[in-house]
Amino acid sequence: MGASLLQAVFSGLALGSIYALVALGFNITHNTTKTFNFGQGEFLVAGAYVAVSAVLLLAGKPISGALSEIEVTPGRYFAALIVSIVVLGALGVLLYHAAVKPFVGQGGLAWVMSTIGFGIIIQNTALAIWGPAPLVMPSPLGNQVIRIGGAGVLPQEILVLVASILVMACLDFVMRKTKIGKAVRAVAHSGPAATLMGINVSAIVVLAFVISSALAGLAGLLIAPITTASVFMGLTLALKAFSAAIVGGLNNARGCMLGGFLLGLIEALVGLWQAELREISIFLLIILVLVLKPEGLLGRRMVEKV
Amino acid sequence: MPSVHRFAKLAVAGAIAGSLWAGAAYAQDIKIGYTADQSASGVAELGIAGRWGFEAAIEDINKAGGIMGRKVVGVIRDDQGTPPKAIQNMTELIDAEKVHAVVGPANSGNALAWLHLPQQKKIPVVVPIGTATEITTRYAKEPQNYLFRVSMVDREQVALLGAYAVKASKDKKIAILADSTGYGQGGIKDATDILALHGVTPVATEKYGPKDTDITSQLSKIKAAGADTVIIYGIADGTAQVLRSMEKINYMPVTLGTWGNLSSLLPKMAGEKLSEHLILAASTTEDTNARTKALGERVRKNFPTLTTFPCSAQAYDSVMLLAAAMKLANSTDGEKVAAALENVTGVEGVIKTYNKPFTKTAHEGLSVADFYLARWKNGAPVRYEDQFTKALTPADLKK
Repeated sequence: MGASLLQAVFSGLALGSIYALVALGFNITHNTTKTFNFGQGEFLVAGAYVAVSAVLLLAGKPISGALSEIEVTPGRYFAALIVSIVVLGALGVLLYHAAVKPFVGQGGLAWVMSTIGFGIIIQNTALAIWGPAPLVMPSPLGNQVIRIGGAGVLPQEILVLVASILVMACLDFVMRKTKIGKAVRAVAHSGPAATLMGINVSAIVVLAFVISSALAGLAGLLIAPITTASVFMGLTLALKAFSAAIVGGLNNARGCMLGGFLLGLIEALVGLWQAELREISIFLLIILVLVLKPEGLLGRRMVEKV
Repeated sequence: MPSVHRFAKLAVAGAIAGSLWAGAAYAQDIKIGYTADQSASGVAELGIAGRWGFEAAIEDINKAGGIMGRKVVGVIRDDQGTPPKAIQNMTELIDAEKVHAVVGPANSGNALAWLHLPQQKKIPVVVPIGTATEITTRYAKEPQNYLFRVSMVDREQVALLGAYAVKASKDKKIAILADSTGYGQGGIKDATDILALHGVTPVATEKYGPKDTDITSQLSKIKAAGADTVIIYGIADGTAQVLRSMEKINYMPVTLGTWGNLSSLLPKMAGEKLSEHLILAASTTEDTNARTKALGERVRKNFPTLTTFPCSAQAYDSVMLLAAAMKLANSTDGEKVAAALENVTGVEGVIKTYNKPFTKTAHEGLSVADFYLARWKNGAPVRYEDQFTKALTPADLKK
């Protein structure tokens, strides 16, 4: 029993770290523009495909070929990381100008539809380029199961966990301790006031979308060796990540991370008891949180001044 | 300008005459349609394999002088794995292309979406891939059922897997692990029924989402229940995740799977070593005999990454059966050909010689007696035998 509990905890943490990464992307743009990318899942898909293709190109193969384990060297994987983050960052800029900027500050839900639409465009572009068959990407660290106290973990799962915790810690530090973080927080607090203080608000807002999209790209790259890159994998992941952000508090970065890990752990631990109840328990939790603490576990209560 | 007009008129007249002439030249050809997913879903691999088997059969028939001295022409359509496109293809094949028979599809769901079309328009169809039981049974009570199949049938493959599981499990501790789709749920029902016929109740029945990446929780429960044999009911990517999770919790029971695991996704995702752990049901493999080997080589010329060889063989045999029926009926009339299919005998296929494969009530060309077990080896599925498969008798194959 102890071993299977430990196994579930490991599985939950690995899964949760992906939710946390994507949820953090929701948080960053929500703080600065009160909007976020509803097509975040499709951005994750794009990140995964760009990464797999980058590795394929580096191995001298066509972009939708098959990769063998030897071809995915850590060096190529790291190069793919950079390519994926750059491409996704650029997509973030495009997303902001095409689907968010025209609607910021307006009432209504135009930005919801436009970001969903942008995501669908990306998904179908990926479909046109790579086709619907999933692309397999072996892990750069191999497939040898590592045993810890009777439980088994894949090296890639450890990589996902370590990499996402590192990235989140860095972002947390930047947001809280550096000047640029201060500027982001100032914009989040009040755009007009930040402008008066000499902060380039539009640059900060674009930066938020770049970071948010790059995080989705990173998540795609990290998860591809576990799930394979598939055009249709985005929606479920994004939905869970969004749930994580709601549970933890959409306006609190640490809350989003907490929500991600919490959801991952609940999924794995409830699965140990009854697999069918996983989703039910997650969404019950969300309703419960929304009723008892609508701002999320770590969220600040928002006071709308009219 | 008049000269331009006259020229245009001439050109149009010429084109019409040309097409009429072409029409006349081809009127004698016998057209057989092929529709299956060849590009979209994970099933596309099966559809492509079937397509080249289909074309190889037509080539062989034409080499031998065609049917009733007429040339056979294949009309290929891709249904992209979606029911609307599949229905459109079927309508087009029957109404515009005026095919005399159809071979297809790959996805059972697509077949179920268009079954009524060939049935109403009296066009015989041989399904070479889709396994849903309902395909051949929906119109079984009509005066003439136009749907035939040369493929695995869901319940029949479970009959084989169940029989093997009962033999291989020491204390008859068998678990069922299925994905949560309709396919998996049907599988749970079939497997439970079949095990009951052997007097065995599964010690655990667990489900997983088709996109789950970690199935350790469910497997831990199965392990705790003491199962030494697990029947997995799902498609290749899910099975690959199950195998990975088995390795994680260091639990390697006898693992049985359905023929969907012939997809190359399994070894690609699970790796060669893990994929070899799975024993799966198959109708045939390339190493069965000289004929299968030769067909495999021919198909591989057009489709080098072939792993789903049974689909090629089944499509090949589907065409051969249709050709035999047309010869027997001495006609291409759908009604006569369908009736003749129920009487053909001694038809040389790749998988076997079909001696009266179909009757008025039974439209399955293959049954559990034709199936056996296979296993991945060095990136290709090969026939699998051990002391348990050798001990299997026809009486064990309860359905």
